[in-house]
Amino acid sequence: MIQRSWKIGGIALLAYVFWTTFTVPLGPGLLEFRDRNEAASTDGITKRIETYELIGLGTHWTVQPEELRLFIRKGDQITPLPVIDVIDDTHAHAALLLPDTLPSKAWDVLINHPIDGTLFLQNGLFVEGFVVDESAQLPRPQFEERSADLPHHFPFQPRIFETIRNLMLHVPMWFTMFLLMGIAFVASIRQLSQSAGGSSLFDLRAEASVQVGMVFGVLGLLTGSLWARYTWGAWWVDDPQLNGALVTVLVYAGYLILRGSVEDERLKARLAAVYNLFAFVILTILLMVLPRFTESLHPGKGGNPGFNSYDLDSSLRAVFYPAVLGWMLLGTWMYRIRLQATRLNQKLHRLNDE
Amino acid sequence: MSALSNIRFLLQHAIRVELRNRHGIAGLLVFAVAAVYTCYQATGTHAEQESWNALAWVVLLFAGFNAVSKPWADDDEGVRAFLIHAVQPQHWLIARTLYYMVLLGTVSTVTFAAFLLFLGMDHLSGWTAGHYYAGVMLTSTALASLLAMIQALASRAGGGFSLIAVLGLPLIIPVILVSTRYGSDLMRGIAFGDTAHHLLFLATLSAGFFALGYILFPYLWRD
Amino acid sequence: MFHTLLQVNPIEGFFFGSGKSMVVGGVAVIIIVGLGLWMWRMEKRIQRLDETATRQTNSSNESAEA
Repeated sequence: MIQRSWKIGGIALLAYVFWTTFTVPLGPGLLEFRDRNEAASTDGITKRIETYELIGLGTHWTVQPEELRLFIRKGDQITPLPVIDVIDDTHAHAALLLPDTLPSKAWDVLINHPIDGTLFLQNGLFVEGFVVDESAQLPRPQFEERSADLPHHFPFQPRIFETIRNLMLHVPMWFTMFLLMGIAFVASIRQLSQSAGGSSLFDLRAEASVQVGMVFGVLGLLTGSLWARYTWGAWWVDDPQLNGALVTVLVYAGYLILRGSVEDERLKARLAAVYNLFAFVILTILLMVLPRFTESLHPGKGGNPGFNSYDLDSSLRAVFYPAVLGWMLLGTWMYRIRLQATRLNQKLHRLNDE
Repeated sequence: MSALSNIRFLLQHAIRVELRNRHGIAGLLVFAVAAVYTCYQATGTHAEQESWNALAWVVLLFAGFNAVSKPWADDDEGVRAFLIHAVQPQHWLIARTLYYMVLLGTVSTVTFAAFLLFLGMDHLSGWTAGHYYAGVMLTSTALASLLAMIQALASRAGGGFSLIAVLGLPLIIPVILVSTRYGSDLMRGIAFGDTAHHLLFLATLSAGFFALGYILFPYLWRD
Repeated sequence: MFHTLLQVNPIEGFFFGSGKSMVVGGVAVIIIVGLGLWMWRMEKRIQRLDETATRQTNSSNESAEA
């Protein structure tokens, strides 16, 4: 009964994950805050009042347009800008009505709206033609963060947009691969620690789990590459995280090639186990230790502030954790089938030999 | 015999065998110098910084792999069967790692010298060349400590050069990443002190490779 | 007036506006359930074959002993 239920559970979890991954809408966000009349502002006259255009994605500004509030922020300084006109759901005009002396040139742009909640565009505004004095104090308005009044949605991340869904497809691949390689690691230890002349049962386990783990590794590379093409603009970039992933896949490909080049069963079991232990320990060092000393563009690492709220967002967690569990269950199931198939194959060979 | 004299004996033996067969090491050096000369033909004396760095490490890497891929008297099954009873596997591994350090150190030094000679020292001057050379030496140490194990594994598996490359190259990628970054840092004029942590990485990786080999080698060797 | 990004990647906005996401989600769910059923059948078949092979091994052993 338990045998049956975890397999069905895994598939059910994945069905839920796939459905929600593709159907939950993306939350609203700010795309750009830009000067509307760039041509007019270069005529030599420094204009203190310029109109700017605010562009959102998936926002609802025509609902209660009078409630749309715009702020700019730098550190703990925050000041409002008047919204002149709401054009449609995603476009609004605002006036750059500011004092001559400002504490900074680069500002974050924030909006408050009853439906979209507080939205945030980091370094969205860069002003010129103002006196910069870091000690300048701006009048402090009443500002409090609002949460969105929207049905279940994924958080908007700058530059990531809809591809945030890849979190459910890409990351669990590596988790599952690590689980399977861990199974192979334990199997290899047991293979080596049994007395000489023991069976190669543990070796078969290691082989099956590496084979299935490789499938997940390759899928992880593919989903990652596709995402990188969209977000970073290239299929592959030079990044510690990516190097680690590539080395992992190559090393385990080497493991499978090593297996293929040894004839004697017992020798094969031992050599493969030795190489597997070597590979797993080195990989753990490479993936866990080295990336901590190097900078990475990869989400979840330093240098990508857009993802700091990743672990905190409950809408992502509600899909991400089931995704990890579901893929792990599926991976384990695939491993067991693969193991049964290999053992059956061996048994049939033995029957044939007799 | 104590462990130390055991190791010294095995190392001396390895070097003696190597020197007895002169054309073995001469072949390696000719390979390395020819590779450098090919690079010189392609780029002339004024290779760009990045290409200089890339070519140097590629030539060093393949000269290193070439050096260890030579068949080795101890790999013979009969010799191994005798050695199993005569020496401890760990001693044998230490001796072989040391021997590879000497061998790869020599090959790398010659390759690097040829590189400086043919491709010019426009990007490396005075102390920088010395710092670069330190990186080259540590890289060949890391190569030696990894390849001592991998070469033994591949010869036990009965595979030749291709198996050493398949098993060793993926594992050596991290070392090459660190060394290329170190080299390009030096060439871009970054102070040695600010990039010296790469040397620490290389030393750590060498130690890691060696420690793993030390633990796992007896399983590999026994029957 | 479209943001440049939307021009480069017209899928943003279009994907959800047109209801195509439901189709994609549906197809994905069908594929994963199909994979589950296929694996289930595969497992059963392997088990059946395994039992047959074990029986044959035993019988051949008995005949060898006899």
